[in-house]
Order: sequence, then C-alpha cells, then structure tokens
Amino acid sequence: MTKAKEATTPVLRLTDVKKSFGSVHALKGISLEIHRGEVIGLIGENGAGKSTLLKILTGIYQPDKGTIAVNGSTVKFRNPRDSAASGIGVVHQEQSLFTNLTVAENIAMNGAASKGYGTTLGFYRWGKLNKAAASTLEIIGSKLNPKTRVGDLSFVDRQMVEIARAISVDTSKNATPLVILDEPTSLLERGETAILEREIRKLKDFGSVIFVSHRLDEIIRNCDRILVMRHGELVADRVTTSVTEDELFKLMVGHESHATAHERRARPANEVPAIEVTGLTRKGKFKNVSLSVHSGRVTAIVGTSGSGREEFSRAIFGAEKFDGGTIVLNGQPARGWRIPKAVKRGMGFVPAERKVEGMVGGFSAAENIVLTHPGDAAIGPILLPWKRNKIAQRWFSTLDVRPNDISQNLERFSGGNQQKVVMAKWLNDPELRVLVLDHPLRGLDPGAAETVNEQIKEACKKGTAVILLADTLEEALEMGDDVVVMRDGVISATYDLSVDNPSTLDLLERMV
Amino acid sequence: MTATISDTGSVTNTKSTEGNRLRVAGKLWQAGGPLVIFIAMFAVVAILTPAFIGSGGITIVAASAAPILLVALGQAFVLNIGSIDLSNAAITVLGAILLAMLLGPLAIAAPIVVLVLVTLFGAVNGFLLAYTQVPSFALTLGTLGIFKAASLVVSGATTVYVSQNKEVVSPLYTTQLAGLPLTFVLGVVVAAIAYLFLRFTRAGMGMTAIGKNESGAIFSAVRTRALKITAFALSGFMAGLAGMTIIAQAGSASAMGLGSDLLLPAIAAAIVGGTSISGGVTNPLNVILGALTIALVPIATAAIGVAAEAQNLVYGVVIIVVVALTLTRSRTAIVK
Repeated sequence: MTKAKEATTPVLRLTDVKKSFGSVHALKGISLEIHRGEVIGLIGENGAGKSTLLKILTGIYQPDKGTIAVNGSTVKFRNPRDSAASGIGVVHQEQSLFTNLTVAENIAMNGAASKGYGTTLGFYRWGKLNKAAASTLEIIGSKLNPKTRVGDLSFVDRQMVEIARAISVDTSKNATPLVILDEPTSLLERGETAILEREIRKLKDFGSVIFVSHRLDEIIRNCDRILVMRHGELVADRVTTSVTEDELFKLMVGHESHATAHERRARPANEVPAIEVTGLTRKGKFKNVSLSVHSGRVTAIVGTSGSGREEFSRAIFGAEKFDGGTIVLNGQPARGWRIPKAVKRGMGFVPAERKVEGMVGGFSAAENIVLTHPGDAAIGPILLPWKRNKIAQRWFSTLDVRPNDISQNLERFSGGNQQKVVMAKWLNDPELRVLVLDHPLRGLDPGAAETVNEQIKEACKKGTAVILLADTLEEALEMGDDVVVMRDGVISATYDLSVDNPSTLDLLERMV
Repeated sequence: MTATISDTGSVTNTKSTEGNRLRVAGKLWQAGGPLVIFIAMFAVVAILTPAFIGSGGITIVAASAAPILLVALGQAFVLNIGSIDLSNAAITVLGAILLAMLLGPLAIAAPIVVLVLVTLFGAVNGFLLAYTQVPSFALTLGTLGIFKAASLVVSGATTVYVSQNKEVVSPLYTTQLAGLPLTFVLGVVVAAIAYLFLRFTRAGMGMTAIGKNESGAIFSAVRTRALKITAFALSGFMAGLAGMTIIAQAGSASAMGLGSDLLLPAIAAAIVGGTSISGGVTNPLNVILGALTIALVPIATAAIGVAAEAQNLVYGVVIIVVVALTLTRSRTAIVK
C-alpha cells in the first residue's frame, strides 16, 4: 500500500500560489506537481517569476496565497531552514560556498542546523563531520576529500560540493530530496557541463530535480518535463519528447525567434586586418598566441577555463599586462598598451563580470551609455545632459530596453537589459574597430540574448572586427567566421568556417 | 516607481517595496536633507540666543564657516572618488604658515606660490594612492603626520606673524558683501565651480564613476589614476585657500593655532552636506549648508552649556549619526 501511495503522491505540489510586490504581481497563481525521480526543467525570461517561485520553495519568500504540499502534507516555510528540513536543497546560480572553510564544513552548513550532527555544544566533532560529508559525496559519486579547503577547488568541483550540500537536507520526513539547480551551468565551461549533466542523471535515482537554465538545448537534453513561465504564470507544461527548441522559445518570449543567420565574410586577401596579434605571451597564462581579425569578421575563441583565453582577451584590451608579442591595430602598432589607449584606437570590451566590470552601478542607464563615448553629448570636456538623454533614448528604442526609463539606476535593470546598455556603451562609438566580447550572453534569457547577438551582427556589417569568447561551442560555430581553439595557453587549432566545417566534437577534442 | 523583478538582482527583489521607500527617502535626503538640518540648527540657535541673530552673528558664523567650507569641499572631492583625505586640514595649517612667512618677501606672489605648493602636496597624496595603492586612509594618516611635523619645523614651533604686506590678503576678511566676509563668498564661489565641474564635465563624471564602481570605471576607459591625483590635488588646493582665509583673518599662523583643528569639522560638514563616505555621491552646493551647520555647532553648544572643550565630541556624534541615518543599508549588510 505504501509503495502505491508513494508512486502517486507528488513529492511537491503547489496549488494556486500567488505573490505580489507592491503593484507587481510576480506570481499570478501557480499550480504544479513534481513526482519522484522526475527532472523538471523550469524556463522563462528574466522577470517571468522563476526566481520568485524558487524563493518561495526555499523559504526566502512566503506566498501571499495558495498552498505548498510536500509528500502530500501541507507545509509552511517561514525561512530557508524550514525548507531544508522538508528535504528541499538548492544549488545557487552564483556559488554560495564559504571558500575559507573545508568541504565537510560547507556541506554541514546545510544539515548541521537542523540535525545537529557533527557538533557537540557548538564544537565540531571533526571525525563525524568528515565521515558524514564523505558519505554524502559518495552518493553523488564524487571522490573529493572532505578536508580540502573549498577555495582550493576548481569551479566544477565546487559545484559538486554545492550539490552535496543540497542533497544533505534532512530526508527523515521526506524519503526523496528535491534538488533545485538554479542556472548551475551558466558559469561552467563545456567539459564541466558534461560532468554536471551526468550528476543530474544520478540525482534521479534517489530524488527529484528542478533544473533552471536559459539554455534550451540543455533543458531538452536533461529534463523529463518542461515548465514554461511567462509574466508570472505557468504558460506550458510539456513532456520533453514532444517539444522543440523553437517551440520553447516561442512559449517563453511570446513571439517567434527573429534571429538572422550571421552573414559570413570570407577572409579578404589584400586587406590590413583591424587587429593583428603576433606571439602574445604572458608567463603562466598564455604563450605565443597569434591571430588576426579583419573588419566585419568574427573570430570566436573557445577553450576551457584554464585555456588562457580570458587573460588573452583582457591583455589585448590593455586590461592586463603581457610579457611579449605585439598588437597591431589597422596597421599601427600598439605601444604602452592600457585601456584608455586601446579605447582611443577604437577598441571596446564587454567583460564577463557585468556588474563588477561592465557597468557603473549607481549611474543611470543614460550616464552609462555616454560614459566612454559621449559623442554629441560633449563638446570637448564639457557634458551636455540634454543631448545625452537623446542618445540614450535612441539606444533604448533600438535595443528594446525595458523598462523604457533612461534615467533609472542601471543597477535596477534585469541582467539582460543591463547587458543591452553595456553593448550600447561601445556601439555608441562610431569609430568602433575591434569589439572584444567575453561571454556576452552569460545569464541572459533567450530574448535578450537574441538582441545582443543581432547587435553583434549589426556591428560587423558596419565594419567592426569582433573577438568573441562564447559561452557554448554552438554559439561559437554560429557566430564565428573563424574559430580559434585554445588549450593550456596556446592555440591548438584554427578553423576558417568559410572553408572548414568542424563539429562541436572536433572542437572539444582540441580543447581537452 | 517601477519595480523591476530581475532574476539576477535578488537583493533588489527581496524588499522591493521597502527598497523603493528607502530609495525615495535617500533621494529626498540628498536633495533637501542638508537644508532641513541647517534650518533646524539655525532655529535652535535663534531660539536659545535671540541676541545673536541681530548683532552681526551671521557675519561671525560665515567667517568661521569659510575655512571649514573650503576644507570640506576638498574633502568632498576625495570622498566622491571613494577615498578619504585625513591630511588636508594639516595642509591648511602648513599653507597658512608658509603664507605668513612668504608674504613679507614675496608680497603679491606669495599666495600664488603657496597655492602651487599645497596643490602639489595634495597631488603627491594622489600620486602615492594611484601608484602604490596604499588605502587612502592609511596613506593620508601618514602624510598627516608628515605635514604636521613640517609645520612645526618650518614655523620653529612658534607663532609666525605676517611681517609686512598683510594687506595682500587681509581684505578677504575685512571686506564684506551683503554682510558676508569675502572669505565665505570665496567658499561659495568655489562650491559653485565644483558643482558645475562635477555635473557638467567628463572629468567630474569620471570621478563620480570611480567612487561608484572603480572596476567599472577602469573598463569604461576612465583615466582613474589621473582623476585620483586631480581629486587629491584639488583637496590640497582648497585646503590652501582655507589657509589663506586664516591669514586674512588672524594675520598669523602656528602649528597649534587657528585652523589646526579643522579635520573633524570639515569631514562633518561634507557629510552633513550629503556627501557619501562610501563614494560616488556629493553635491558641493549642499556642502555650503553643511559647513554653516557645523559652524553653528560651537554657538549652539555654548548656548546649551556644553563646555568648549567638548566640541569635538559633538562633531564626532554628528558624523556617526548622519552616516548612520543616510547609509544605504538596502545594498549590503557587509560593513568594512
């Protein structure tokens, strides 16, 4: 009898859950069921209400209305601890581990509070703590040493610790833990993503998973069922086998994809490249890297996190030093290379760390747009705010930035809209010759990603040369005219896509 | 106000209504807070000592506010780039001593020479900050000691009197414009220029960008080093102007005399004037009100019956209270 009941009682059931913030209805009545052993994909644009929903499931927010039932019994989460006690664990988008503590301590941070294991009178019982951690790690098939300091681990290993922490929730009341993965792959490189995906399949054996991601291919690959949110509502609940990426895109965004294919430009024979890098070297990071990009072409650089491509891209923008080699822009060599010089010579750079490096939070969107290239909004050193607003408004219309309020603090926009403004900051340079993009689509929903990609193509048409550090190999193959593969600081392969036609597997082989 | 629900901005989400209220309150404070505080302070003084208002009290307050205002404006520039200058009040004293010594031999050229020197002193602070990356707090604490020692050595630890050519600077104090000494008018003019500089020049915008997010400014091709040096040089320059007002008023200077106790009141004036200690927010026009408020403190405390020796206590309390009231707590719970 119990067996049969287990099979039919959902691990999690939400009934008409509502949540508002002031006049904004973040959730307009969500009802859903998740069963044991299911991997559920949760997708939606920024602002669709996904994170509000997750925060309700993890006890950070309390719903205004509606009920949550875990294993058939109604629960109320007053705080994250309550949620963990019901068997719900979460792996956050931005890692939330304590890097100066050991693996075991980090894992215990979740369970220790509710179970009290591993401590006596507040003192650690290291033996017990490490043993508990080791057995949790074993469940997910990780061989990490519980005594290792988390700060010494690689990114993907840290993700394993996050997962171990998420499943070390109290399972006494709930035989099956529910693990929420909130965009776990957005910061991972290709090879690491594969490891994580294997992990998700393992989690199915003893629990359920809610997998949140902006990458539709990933969602289709890993999930049994897909829930689509839009404007605070659940607009679709589909079995994976019956949907396509295009369909999901349309459900999420509300219209068909407008993406146009990148018009490839063959490498011109007798033209000075917009940027030509020869033998660029930085000790311990990259060695003897040479490449050239012509006006209107895109060179995508792929590689794992240790490949040195990030450091290389920053070095050519003058953001980091290099020990040897030359950079030549439009036939003119670069000397004493620092950011202001690079920018003066027509370079732009969109950093991966948008909030830290890409923008100045606290400044309005308009101020951010004209900060580097004021154009008409300045006469020499003097600023003309009214012209600034005109320029900003033009970019807001072109890029469909929402909300349409150029004077709002840029910090208060969603990630996708922030990235559009960061793009506008560089595109506002009429003399933009070389644009370096470090993971420009990181964390963006498909709608915003499409806008950013269209702008990259548009810039190419106007003659800008683009160096792109793509999030995925598919993105690199779609956007690139050339694809350069880096491994351990050196170029391991170069493909001219107007001639060669490498598969993602070919690229992967050269990466690891 | 539009509340944006963003997937990434979890902090923005957490208390969006409360956050909005805080933001509105913050904006209102930035615009009108300093005026409200000044009016309150003025009312206290006016009620406790009605005689003060009529008998040229305004002139006295404006005169004592002038050096505070000039030092505070320099401090506001430095605070705006996210640093602090603990040494600028010491530069004021050193500048005053140098001016007292040089007025005799150099006459009209003396103020110019001194202003060039103090600007260089400030620039050295900025240069060391930009290139050694020693935190400004530690760096200027060090140069504070150096400037103080230099004042003692240069003055021979005695009071230096202006031997002749006193009339080169003294009209700054003796001349009045609408009942306000020129020293204060000078401060107001400097504040107005500072305001225009910060709001309507690329350099001013770059400085504010540094204070709001230095990494973001660097990646936006803002010349962060040059602008840091400029901010500290301006702090030195304005401290020198303050030293000039002291000579105009007293005709003498000493390492321990008039102006040696300007650091705390000037920081208090900048902060009461709405300048954020975490950088990126200042309005020089409001700093005028901050300086006037702080200049009223000794009069108010005397009226209440607090001993003159305890005035620094009041400045200290004012700084803590105003910062506590205006800190944007919504952004982060982490305090450095």
